[in-house]
Amino acid sequence: MKKLISNARSSRVVPVISLGEFLLVPIQIDLDDRTVGLLQQQILEELENTRAQAVIIDVRMVDVIDSYISYTISETAAMARLMGCRTVLCGIQPPVALTLAQMGVMLQDIIVARDLEHALLVAGSQSGVG
Amino acid sequence: MLYKNEHENVDIDRVFNSPAEEYDVFIRIAREEDIAVARQMAKQLAQEAGFSLADITKIATAVSELARNIYRYAGQGRIMIKKLLNEREGPYLEVIASDRGPGIAEIELVMTKGYTTYERSLGIGLSGVKRLMDSFAIYSEVGKGTVVIAGKRRRKF
Repeated sequence: MKKLISNARSSRVVPVISLGEFLLVPIQIDLDDRTVGLLQQQILEELENTRAQAVIIDVRMVDVIDSYISYTISETAAMARLMGCRTVLCGIQPPVALTLAQMGVMLQDIIVARDLEHALLVAGSQSGVG
Repeated sequence: MLYKNEHENVDIDRVFNSPAEEYDVFIRIAREEDIAVARQMAKQLAQEAGFSLADITKIATAVSELARNIYRYAGQGRIMIKKLLNEREGPYLEVIASDRGPGIAEIELVMTKGYTTYERSLGIGLSGVKRLMDSFAIYSEVGKGTVVIAGKRRRKF
């Protein structure tokens, strides 16, 4: 068990902030395929450790979201849902939104919010406590 | 096999053997990290060429999809980008992705949105590239390789 925790720590790719019932994941790095895989692993591990009810992924600093990144984010949200946690994605930049819409990407199992403030509102209002 | 007859008879070997000097960006795709490198270099070139932020994002995303296809299905290949000037339509970028991988037997099928042979995928890679770019052509021969040529015009705002 101790080994598992240390492994989880060593594979952290983004700083995750625990805020009440929420887990904030601001992404400020380029999401290459390896990183996006590690990010998924990290989010699931943090969910297990914090018992958060919603994970908020902020992608306002991300300037390219391709089909694989979209797929992995959706997959992470589906996994989080199975662990009893909602996923809110916020801050999609206008050119990224345009690109995703043009490609026909459907983000499943995800609540989309405009910015972090909106995300907190949406995540809270659907939890039944906020 | 030709998907869209925009460029007549592309010789896959010739494209694959073309020298790096012919292009503004030339990236060998052989490792997973090369996908992100290709994406960044495409973005930089589109920026320098004066494309809008929306089009820079579309080009970078398309290159990301093409580079990943090379890595996944062929193991290795190349992404090449050329800055061209079309007298009638103005400047444009031409992205060429080529590999000597297994080739595609059913091109029409892989161009269908949602079709994939890879388990962790949305199946919108190639159809997505076609939607994001202004022109798109794919040439593939089983046992020989695949060449994708996609172009984007610079729009005036």
